[in-house]
Amino acid sequence: MFVLSFLVRRLLQGALIVFLVSLLIFTLLRVVPGDPVRLMAGGMAPEALIEQIAKDMGLRDPIVVQFGRYMSGVVQGDLGQSFVRPANGASTGGANFNDSTRGERAKVLDLILETLPMTLQLAGLAIVFALAFSFLVGIPGGLAPGRWPDRLAFYISSIFVSLPNFWLGIILALLLSVKLGWLPAIGYQGFAYTILPAIVLAVELSPVLIRTLSASMAGIMMEPFVAVGKVRGLSRSRIVFGHALRNASVPLLNLLGIQFSGLLGGVLIVEFIFDYPGLGLLTINAVLQRDFPLIQGIAIVTSAIFVFINIAVDLVATMIDPRLEY
Amino acid sequence: MTQPAPLLAVRDLSIDLRTGSGKRRVLSDISFDLAPREIVGLIGASGSGKTILSRALVNWIEPPLEIASGQVEYKSSNILTVAPGPMRRLRREIAYVGGDPMGALDPTLPVGHQIVEKLRAVAPEIGAAEAGKRVVDLLDAVRIPSAKNRFHEYPSQFSGGMMQRALIVDALVSNPAFLVADNITQPLDVTVAAQVLRLLRELTERFDTAVFFVSSSLPVVSDVASRILVLEEGRIVEQQETKALVAHPKHPYTYELMSQIPKLWAEGAANVPASTSKDVVISVRDVCRSYTVRKRGTFAAYNTVRAVRNVTFDVLAGENFGVVGESGCGKSSMMRLLSRLELPDSGQVLCNGEDIAQLRGKDLLKFRRNFQLVLQDPFSSLPPRTAIGAILEEPLRTHGMRDKRELRHRALTVMDEVGLPSSLYEELPIGLSAGQRQRINVAQAMVLQPKVLIMDETLSSLDQTEQFKLLKLFDKLQAQYGLTYVFISHDLAMVRRVCNRVAVMYLGEIVEIAHNERLFFDPGHPYTRTLMSAVPTLEERRYRPEDYLLEGEPPSPIDLPPGCSFAGRCPNVMDRCLTQSPHLTDRGAHDMAACFLLDPATARSKDIAERVVA
Repeated sequence: MFVLSFLVRRLLQGALIVFLVSLLIFTLLRVVPGDPVRLMAGGMAPEALIEQIAKDMGLRDPIVVQFGRYMSGVVQGDLGQSFVRPANGASTGGANFNDSTRGERAKVLDLILETLPMTLQLAGLAIVFALAFSFLVGIPGGLAPGRWPDRLAFYISSIFVSLPNFWLGIILALLLSVKLGWLPAIGYQGFAYTILPAIVLAVELSPVLIRTLSASMAGIMMEPFVAVGKVRGLSRSRIVFGHALRNASVPLLNLLGIQFSGLLGGVLIVEFIFDYPGLGLLTINAVLQRDFPLIQGIAIVTSAIFVFINIAVDLVATMIDPRLEY
Repeated sequence: MTQPAPLLAVRDLSIDLRTGSGKRRVLSDISFDLAPREIVGLIGASGSGKTILSRALVNWIEPPLEIASGQVEYKSSNILTVAPGPMRRLRREIAYVGGDPMGALDPTLPVGHQIVEKLRAVAPEIGAAEAGKRVVDLLDAVRIPSAKNRFHEYPSQFSGGMMQRALIVDALVSNPAFLVADNITQPLDVTVAAQVLRLLRELTERFDTAVFFVSSSLPVVSDVASRILVLEEGRIVEQQETKALVAHPKHPYTYELMSQIPKLWAEGAANVPASTSKDVVISVRDVCRSYTVRKRGTFAAYNTVRAVRNVTFDVLAGENFGVVGESGCGKSSMMRLLSRLELPDSGQVLCNGEDIAQLRGKDLLKFRRNFQLVLQDPFSSLPPRTAIGAILEEPLRTHGMRDKRELRHRALTVMDEVGLPSSLYEELPIGLSAGQRQRINVAQAMVLQPKVLIMDETLSSLDQTEQFKLLKLFDKLQAQYGLTYVFISHDLAMVRRVCNRVAVMYLGEIVEIAHNERLFFDPGHPYTRTLMSAVPTLEERRYRPEDYLLEGEPPSPIDLPPGCSFAGRCPNVMDRCLTQSPHLTDRGAHDMAACFLLDPATARSKDIAERVVA
């Protein structure tokens, strides 16, 4: 019952948030300079033709009307068509205005669905790496505040937080891929290609996770129920893994929800460096080509993912700690 | 008093506290025996080392504390030197209950599951199903209502008293040989504490458990223990059978402890006459206040918590007015209404004839100047990084004083008045005792020269000695400035000592208002008698717990039962109480109580009820 009302309430809120984000992005993209039709049709196209295409595509209607039309499509699962990408793959940016392939422009949804699983795979692996590493370093740090495991955790996270990801990506590719030949780096031809970019993302994620985990672990270990637990006859491993970790995981979960937005930012750079065919690479190209429908689609999909991951995080957190109420 | 085979023998136990500058001895040469099935009590003022001793008995001495010498012998081995592994198995026989019930269990797991976890940790041979059944049975035995469901509920869903019962179950579930109970009644309300003590006696008898019972209150210990140890600054200065100790304390320290216990009824009890004043300073008229909280697990349903219901009373100029009641009865909501931190939903609070809800701007500031609050917690109510002088000057600045020399002069004057040395002017509050901090709070209120001081549990966190000193200070200030005090408290003994008139609150209502003597010698409401029967005292009680203290806790202020809200715990309950709600009825001399027993129509049944009780 609680779960149901929680989901109804939060999903409605989430839908509203995604709607507002869409409105914002839609409006911003319409007011920035640069006419996408000119871009599509090519520099040599006659003015009348451009007006004609713009009218046909509805780009001369008031923004509210355009937005309404767009959103009614979105609700039906139609994110529109790319301005520049044909369905067959190659980019048409700047091609001739009477290009015959223009009629079969790629659907934005298809483009996103092609690349999104790749990015989710990358992000998922990065989170697994980051969590495993943070637990290994952060828990001993939190159990021994002020002593060497704590200091080690602090040094590691300080170093990690100051490594720029583009630099780390290049260095790791050079080391592990070029010199040692352990891992493939560029492009994607199998799961192994995900590992290297995932490591780079994990290094970016883990400093905050380590600090949060060791701080909240140290805090929980000071709670009276931990000391009393020992007197009640519970073993230390039981107290640490059955109780302290359980309590300390709530702030960690909340942080993960927020970190997810940072992850999406990191994906842009890392995918670009490793030429990894994910959402990040798609975004960069879409921006470079002023492909408004695609940018819009990506923004809406990522904001929806972000919102719903945070709902899931809150739900899991209330499952762990029933005192929480979101 | 050495029995042939003591269960637990403490010999020459000394414990040091390691500080930055060296070691300080906190317990010295403690020796005593605990016989099987015996209940031994330990008393001492705060800081005397009670908690350290009780922790030593369960091998819970951690840095910066360290054992200097001596042993705690259980089954002919020194438990202080037992390795962690065997110690864990010994925990089955050695149980501990502390004074912080709400913090003792993991807040994220159901209470029953954690007790099962403990039982199976110390006794792995017991199966999960059997352990669960045993815990439910015991939860039932400590009279936790619907124990089967409560088994799956979380610590935050338990009240303090309920939680303390659950922890007693947790301690006794493995059938231990002895139990250390460290200040277990301290955070509880008097009636709940009395219930828990009664239960502890019953259960330890049933399980043949010996108990080491620690408390700072001699009346509480003497209620439970057959023999009492007195601890002063880490040394046992006296040990006697309880009766002998109460009748003839030998050591001057014991004598001093006993003399500090306020008298309720006996010779030497305070005699606080009715105030002679006729001027009404505060007049509370039919005030109600409810809070709405969202119902958990619903979409948009709200619960209404009715915190204050139809409260009416007057406070006269220059008197000490007490508001007593147990936690959740609406005392603090009342304080917030009196000080205009909140406005009533209906009704009025009049100050010198003016409705304080209508005050705005300058008038409001003037009202605030005359009406000051002193709060309960001396530690969190002071800003830790502000000098004491600046803390005291801040209210003056708020009220428009700017002259630096004048500000300093006022702050130093008021510090002198409350007994703070002027050398503290530049100091931070860190490191001051609770008593000193509470003086700062009083000074901060006094610096504006108010007419009314509202004391919300101001003395609750202080020990008897400090309480005594502060009460003297309040007396002096009252004589000097003609102050009016409103004491909001759960401590009947304190109220008995200082208040001219007392209002008793239960579930948001005032059930009785009476003058001091009348309230304690001839209470008009059964709830007042219940409170009297539960208050810890060495005196012979006028109201016996067997007659007046029923099981159960106050109903939730969300689902108030129809009729009288005390009906569920009332020893004199009648049919009428379950459907109708009694109003405050005059009992003569401006004393009032809300009970049908005072209604002439029910006078006959009152006679019957009294005969039953007598």
